[in-house]
Amino acid sequence: MRQQQRERGPALPAAVGALCRALPPRARPAPDTLRRARFDRPQASLDFWRLLYVLLKQVHGGRCTESDAIGGQVRFVKWALWFHGYRRPQLQLLPADGSAGSRELLLAFSWLLHSLHLLEQLLARNRLQTGDETSVCTCIVSLGSRLELHSSFACQLDPLKILLNVEICEAGKHICLNTIKCEDDVPSRQEGAGEAAAEDRVDVRYLQWLNGRLRLQWHALHAQHQEQCKLLHKIHLFTSGSHMDQRLGHFSVTEADLTRQPENYKQLFQLLESETMQLEAFLEWKQLEPVYWQWMETVLDNMAEEGNMCESQEAHMEKRRLPEVAAAEELQKERFSATARKIQESVELKLRALRAPKSKMHGSCRLVLRSKHPGSQRGTAGCVPKEAVPAVGAAEVIRELQGREASLQAELQQLREQSRRRMQAIAEGWEGVICISP
Amino acid sequence: MLPAGRGRRAAAALRAALGEGAERRRELERRAARSRALLGRWDDEEEERPQPQPGSSTAHEDRPSPKELEELELLNRALEKALKVRKSVLKAPLEAQGATEQKWAGEAHAPKKAEEQQMPVPIKDVPECRKVRAGSKKPLLLKKPFPYQLKAPYRTDPDVKKLQRKVPARCVSQGPRTAGKISSKGMTSKRGMSHRTATGACAAAEPQETPGLSESAPNEQQSFSGGDSAAGKNSVAAKKQLLDAGKKSCSFLGECSEKDDTAGAWGRSTSAGTGTLQEKGCQLKLPLLYRKAYSRNSRAWERCRLCQTSADAEAARTRFMERIQTTFCSPKLTPSPAEIEEELRALQDVPSHLRQYVEAELADPPTLQGEYESLLTLEGLQSTVSQCLQKLQLLRAALESQLRLCPDCPGDVGICSPACVPARGQTCDSADTLAVPLLSYSSLQELRDLFTLKLQVSMLHQEIALQKVMMAELLPVLEPRPFLEGSAGLFRAIHTQLCEGGRRFPVLVRDELLD
Repeated sequence: MRQQQRERGPALPAAVGALCRALPPRARPAPDTLRRARFDRPQASLDFWRLLYVLLKQVHGGRCTESDAIGGQVRFVKWALWFHGYRRPQLQLLPADGSAGSRELLLAFSWLLHSLHLLEQLLARNRLQTGDETSVCTCIVSLGSRLELHSSFACQLDPLKILLNVEICEAGKHICLNTIKCEDDVPSRQEGAGEAAAEDRVDVRYLQWLNGRLRLQWHALHAQHQEQCKLLHKIHLFTSGSHMDQRLGHFSVTEADLTRQPENYKQLFQLLESETMQLEAFLEWKQLEPVYWQWMETVLDNMAEEGNMCESQEAHMEKRRLPEVAAAEELQKERFSATARKIQESVELKLRALRAPKSKMHGSCRLVLRSKHPGSQRGTAGCVPKEAVPAVGAAEVIRELQGREASLQAELQQLREQSRRRMQAIAEGWEGVICISP
Repeated sequence: MLPAGRGRRAAAALRAALGEGAERRRELERRAARSRALLGRWDDEEEERPQPQPGSSTAHEDRPSPKELEELELLNRALEKALKVRKSVLKAPLEAQGATEQKWAGEAHAPKKAEEQQMPVPIKDVPECRKVRAGSKKPLLLKKPFPYQLKAPYRTDPDVKKLQRKVPARCVSQGPRTAGKISSKGMTSKRGMSHRTATGACAAAEPQETPGLSESAPNEQQSFSGGDSAAGKNSVAAKKQLLDAGKKSCSFLGECSEKDDTAGAWGRSTSAGTGTLQEKGCQLKLPLLYRKAYSRNSRAWERCRLCQTSADAEAARTRFMERIQTTFCSPKLTPSPAEIEEELRALQDVPSHLRQYVEAELADPPTLQGEYESLLTLEGLQSTVSQCLQKLQLLRAALESQLRLCPDCPGDVGICSPACVPARGQTCDSADTLAVPLLSYSSLQELRDLFTLKLQVSMLHQEIALQKVMMAELLPVLEPRPFLEGSAGLFRAIHTQLCEGGRRFPVLVRDELLD
């Protein structure tokens, strides 16, 4: 085994080193951990579980509770690997105290590297945001009927990132039904004069009051947002032409503040630098990738020798595709007149929009003000040349949001209609009382 | 009253929502403060004025304050008085009319269109005390005297009053809703009028209103609807006014239209020399250090984006992946749960699109060609639907087979699906992932529309979630019950909450013939 290593030369340590440096700062293993794992050393197991835990948590956008004990970490990693389709049975059989299995974890890690495009994804997710960011995601995050509560300001985020105007995907803000169901430890605030006595019962008017406050809060939020829009717009407008990156053209709030008080932003510089180093490590890794994969193959070789293969089925690497919604060719072209055929074609076109899977926009984007008349923007000689950088247009996002809003509104109306019917049924069951809806 | 468990869960859901909102408000306020500082004078050495947080006055109060309760109490008493007066004035024929229904005409909520961000006027009732309609005011939120009007409609139906008579007025203090309302209506239509303090003028105002109240019912309705249409016109015609009013209501909280002051300051300070962003914005330069770091960073991103996997690497990687997959014990060719979820997300929008298409086809086309087109479209839609259903079935089967291999779900995570995981298996993905994400807008209006819509969508998500929770908790309270005393109040409250979004009330009328 040692001979094999030496034959590969010095490239392997470099590859492993680059790989480690290309991972996000919080989840950066020591190259030694990987090497030990390759030999299935138990000392590396705990570190490796933790590594996978942190990485997968980042992928899932969840809160990274640092205090999670090893048991919790192990469970989460096993679940996440299952979720992404990793099916080596040996992994699920690893002990829950994280005391063994570093080699298995190394395999899982490598599998994730490719299957999830782990490096690229994490780079994009953790991208330092120096602009005025806003999310453009309109999708709903859920599987099954559970809605997840994604706290707006997960502790996973740096306070600095909050300072830099990070906004989490709007769709993530829901009420978690589960939390409510087990929240019977709600402290009963029944003090105060005149409160309904010793019973813990809740007055329905209290609910109505809370609801009213909630509505008021939305209005206040709206007003705040509108003000923020005005302020942002002004700042963008006033600083047009100042940014050396012509694609952007103007400063963001952070950059303007940076110009005003550079001493407050030392940490930002450091983060920028460290991100650049991470990117360079990524490029280095891409050069040395083949070495790493060959190394991983030797791991599999060893395990095959040790006779650890399970009864397996032939699993193919080809993409597992579900039957796609059929293309328009299904539409029969009969021998009709030209008009009929034209009509058929126009219908096909119409329906194609429906059938084509729309590429969804995800994540947060930096807001840039781009006037419709490019001539009016002054460009200073910048060090970053202007290219046709694809920017999502606000108009497009607005249209999507309008569609989303309409369908949500329809859903809400449906629920209300349902309630109305049930209430009507209740009222009808009552003798001598008539209910008249507004 | 609601049974403990249900009530608490429902309240907990609402409080959670409120907590989230408060958090967002605080965050927004922080950002706004920064932006405002930037737009002011730069050579101001003073630290940003400690702004009284707008959220602070509403910060995490889970019960109405004693002040609110007091005011509500006063209001109730005043209205009781008014009603007594009116009752004595009312002639017998009126009562003999039988079940007259008075609708809540004065709801005065501007027609709510989905796209418009309006300020609905939720006028809440105190269900146990039908006689009283808490005025449209928000004493808690405002530190300044606030224009309110006691035009809120209330029950005038003597028959319904009978239902509620048993319940004393004092019960109001137990958990009243108060001013969860915004009297935007009050604000817009009464802006010119003198401000009245909520408490002081309360009792005084009543006698003035009484003469109006003692008129016969139809007149009352008219005056309500008059107020209605006035407010309606105001709000429809001047949406911006409402928004500004809303802003003002928040700015009352201590900032006192500070933005306006700043605006003035710009105009004035241009002559005063340098100091604001407006003047020197286009001449600004980022610090050299930052520029260097930024351009290095930018170039690195570019290179990463354009970086391709070498053929060797790809070959080696493929070999490894194939080999490891042979050790998998998974059902053949089944998509992973992650892929299933991705497909589900893609399917999510289909129903609403379908609905749009179908609705578009509902109109009877006039011509033969039109009919033919309609026919083809509907057939195409039908086939799409059946394909989607088929796909769903396959997905379900796939998920079931995958679930057989599922390890224990970690308790705290639940089903924590990846936040916005882009579709896998697409090699071009890497390039897209590493591109600079930009969202360009062209005007202030566009930006505002964008944020309005985002907020609206967010709000709708929350409303739907809350609606489901409320339906689960509140409906079962009423269902098995026979009609008891106090049921009416509960019924109305729940009906309002679930069916009208807390905005309008049904009328419960006793089905009796009066002599």
